[in-house]
Amino acid sequence: MGIGPSTKETSLHHFQDPLLEVVSDDTDVDLMGIIIVGTPDDNVDKIRVGTRAAIMADCMRADGALISADGWGNSDVDFTNTCEQLGRRGICVAGLHFSGRTAQFVVTNDYLGNIIDTNKSEEGTETTVLGENNMTKLDCRKALVRLKMDMKKHDRGRGTE
Amino acid sequence: MPEKTIDHGRLEIKCFHIDDVDFGEKNEVDTHGKLRVCKDMLQKLAEEKSEFIDHIDLQVIQPDDHDRFTNTIMDFIPISTKVLGAIGTGVTYTLTGVYFMLTGVDTEGIQAHEFGSSEGNLQEQVIFDRPSTPKTGDVIISFDVTMKAGMSEERRGCYAAHEVCDKFIQEFRNQMKHFNANDCTEKHVYHDVERPGRKKIVIIRQVAGQGAMYDMYLFPDEPSGAIGGKSIIDMGNMPVIVTPNEYRDGILRSMQ
Repeated sequence: MGIGPSTKETSLHHFQDPLLEVVSDDTDVDLMGIIIVGTPDDNVDKIRVGTRAAIMADCMRADGALISADGWGNSDVDFTNTCEQLGRRGICVAGLHFSGRTAQFVVTNDYLGNIIDTNKSEEGTETTVLGENNMTKLDCRKALVRLKMDMKKHDRGRGTE
Repeated sequence: MPEKTIDHGRLEIKCFHIDDVDFGEKNEVDTHGKLRVCKDMLQKLAEEKSEFIDHIDLQVIQPDDHDRFTNTIMDFIPISTKVLGAIGTGVTYTLTGVYFMLTGVDTEGIQAHEFGSSEGNLQEQVIFDRPSTPKTGDVIISFDVTMKAGMSEERRGCYAAHEVCDKFIQEFRNQMKHFNANDCTEKHVYHDVERPGRKKIVIIRQVAGQGAMYDMYLFPDEPSGAIGGKSIIDMGNMPVIVTPNEYRDGILRSMQ
């Protein structure tokens, strides 16, 4: 498990990224920046890098984080830990992940309720068709709505007038 | 009363649409929609990286010509160049209507992929009009690298393929830098806007970081380029932060 053609994000994807477009077009939120974090091999490193990403968001005084992954399987260890580390710091989390039928989270926790499944294939599998299970604008809008609802419910008492 | 915002920076992306792509006597691009590719430089590029690369082929794939074989698709790459400023600021020129498709295999027939190969019939192996893929009506320039045996499974082999493709694209970028700005077909201006009083959010992109075809490059010399980039693996996979304008200006080069 890792990154198959259907979830792969090409250089073109990052150049015309729907998540950034949807978030930056929404005047209800203040987008501070984009954190790029890798997915190491070693388990201790996996926990370390995701935790550092969550601490970075906390230092930025983020109310919420939108997280995405470009693969599944062992990278779920990174993904779910980062969600948990954000949540435990009081930062609302929503995001995008390919799950389908074959790629349900290999580990879970209490902070994954707002993760949208980007699966588009009928079989819910890694189809090896490039772009098939990519996030779309609609997926991104759903994730942002979930985040906004969550931030409304769990106000950190900052960032509001 | 208008809402108070703070502007932290401005990026201008000017698009030049291309609708006539074919082979020609040299690599050239103009502002009237014409782009010509030439195979002359491929042998030299392969020789420069002869430790990793056996040979390179180039094909122009028109929109009605998708019923054909392709090796596994390593990347779709926009043709963009900085004209003013660093990535994320100033002015970028980019071409629309045409994209590079980097494909890779080695001399033993092993496809360059991580979990699952997209080799096969192009029309069945690509869903067009997705963020990762060109539009149905776009022309694809297939840059097909055959690596030395075993190199399609090694980071340095895969990087060499990206590097030679980047050098080829640079031929067009260097010409684009001299384009007349007024000839652009689209112009997009992006402001990095802070909205005081609104909920503060960050986007977190978890990206590949474990090895060959499971890597991500940041901070290349040119938008969506490979050369000059730093691998997230070599940076210990630690989080780095980029501005929205850096991100949309091609500060990431996908190596998965």
